[in-house]
Amino acid sequence: MLVVDLFLGALVALVCGLDRVAVLQIMISRPIVAAPLAGWLLGDIEVGLQVGLMIELLWLARLPVGAAVPPDDTQVAIAGTVLAVALGKLLGLEGIEFILLCLLVAIPFGKFGQFFDRFARTRNRRTMERAEAALDSGNLSAAELYHLSGIAKFALAALGTYGVIVGGGIVLVPALAPVLLSGLEHSAEWIRLALPVVGIAVVVGTINVNRSLTLFSASFGMAFLLMWLV
Amino acid sequence: MMNLSPMIRLRVWLRLFLLQGSWNFERLQGLGFFFALYPALQKLYRDEQLQQVCREHAGYFNTHPFLAPSVAGAVLELEQRRSRNEEQTVNIQDFKEMVAAPYAAVGDAMFWGGLRPLTAGIAILFAVKGIILAPLIFLLLFNLLPFWFRIFGFMYGYRNGLRSLEFLQQHRLPDWAIRIKETAVVLLGGVSAFLVFQQLQAEQIPKGLGFLAIPLVLVLALFARRGISTLLLVLLTTAVIICLSLFGFEPTTWL
Repeated sequence: MLVVDLFLGALVALVCGLDRVAVLQIMISRPIVAAPLAGWLLGDIEVGLQVGLMIELLWLARLPVGAAVPPDDTQVAIAGTVLAVALGKLLGLEGIEFILLCLLVAIPFGKFGQFFDRFARTRNRRTMERAEAALDSGNLSAAELYHLSGIAKFALAALGTYGVIVGGGIVLVPALAPVLLSGLEHSAEWIRLALPVVGIAVVVGTINVNRSLTLFSASFGMAFLLMWLV
Repeated sequence: MMNLSPMIRLRVWLRLFLLQGSWNFERLQGLGFFFALYPALQKLYRDEQLQQVCREHAGYFNTHPFLAPSVAGAVLELEQRRSRNEEQTVNIQDFKEMVAAPYAAVGDAMFWGGLRPLTAGIAILFAVKGIILAPLIFLLLFNLLPFWFRIFGFMYGYRNGLRSLEFLQQHRLPDWAIRIKETAVVLLGGVSAFLVFQQLQAEQIPKGLGFLAIPLVLVLALFARRGISTLLLVLLTTAVIICLSLFGFEPTTWL
C-alpha cells in the first residue's frame, strides 16, 4: 500500500537524515546505505542498491565543511527508492528505466534539502539564545534540553526534504512516465553508467590533490588494460 | 577534587555523538560542546562557578566531529586541574581555539575528503556486482578509522591534556590525509575502469573504445573544477545520452 510504503520511507528518512549532521554521523546517511535500507524495508533491496550505487558518488565532493550545506543526497536516495518501489507497484512499472526516471525526478529536488537544512540551522540560533538565557539564569538543565530540541529541527528538515521529493515525484513520475520511459529504453544502461562516472569526475576534479587528473588517468588506464588483457 | 570517574567520562564521550544537535551559524557546535561536557562539569564545580564554566563552554566552538573527542578529553583534563586550583599555562578557552581549527582542517581533509570517497569507491565495486552486503562493507570500512579517533583520541586527550596538541604532529595527520586522498583518486580510477569495462562487455562493444572514457571524465572534471554544478553536469550528460538514443545512435550498430 502506498501510504504504508511512504511511512516506512519517512522512518528511514528521519533516522538517516539525523545521521547527516545532528546525531552519530556513522554514515548510515550515505546513499549507498540509506537507499538499500529503504529498499529492504519496502521489500525490494535490489532497487535500493541500484539507487545507492548511482547516487553515492554524485555529491561526494561537496564536503560538509564549516557552514557549507551540500545538497541532500540522503533524502534523494531514500525518496528515489521509495518512488521506484511504491509507485512502481502502483503503476505496474519496473526495471532500470523506471528507477532512472524516479531518480532523475528526485535529483533536482535535492536542492530543497539545502533550504530545509539552512532553515533548521537558522532556527537553532533562537535555540542557542534561549539556552544562553537559561545558562545566565542558572537553569543549566534547561540549556541541556534546548540543545536536544535542536535535534528536532534537523528531524523536521529531513522529513520536509523527504516530503517535497516524494510529493514532487508522486505528481511528476506518473505524468512523465508515458513520455520519457520510451526515451530511456535504449539509453538507461548508459545513464546508469554515467551517473557514478559524473560523480567520480567531480571528485577527481575538485579533490585537493596534486596531479589528481594524472593519477586518475594512470589508474584508469592500468586497470582497464589489465581487465582487457587478462 | 578527585579525578573524573570512568562512568562520567563515558557519559561525556557518548554525548559527543550529539555534538552537532543544535548546530547554528552563530556558535556552530558551541552549545553541543557544553552539552557533552556538562556531566563532568557538574562533578568538578558547584553553584556560580559551575554556571560560569558552562557559559564559557557554550560559546563559539567548531571542529571536526570525529576529532572533537580529542579536544573534549584534553579539556576535561584541564578542567580537572582548574577545579583543583592548579596553575595553568594556557587558558582553557584559548586551548580550545588553538586546537579546534587545525583539527577541523585535518579532519575535513582526512575523513570527508579522503576516507569517504575511498570507502565509497570500494563499496560501489561490491554493489555493482549485486552484493547486498555492500552497505555493511562501507559502514565497516569507513567507521574503523573515525571510531579509532573517537575512542583513543578521547582517552589520549584526557591522559595528556595540553600535551595532546602534539598528537597532530607526532602522527603526521596532515600527511596521512594527503595519502588517503591520493589513494582515493587511484581507486576511483580503477572503479571507473571497471564500470566502463562491464558496460562495454554487456553491450558487446570493442573494448579498446573504453579508453575514450578518460578524456570524457577529464573534461567533466575540468568543468567541475571551474565551478559547474554536479546537478547541471548530471542533467546535461543525461540529456545528451537520451538525445543520442532518440536520434538512433546505437553504439552496437555504429561500431
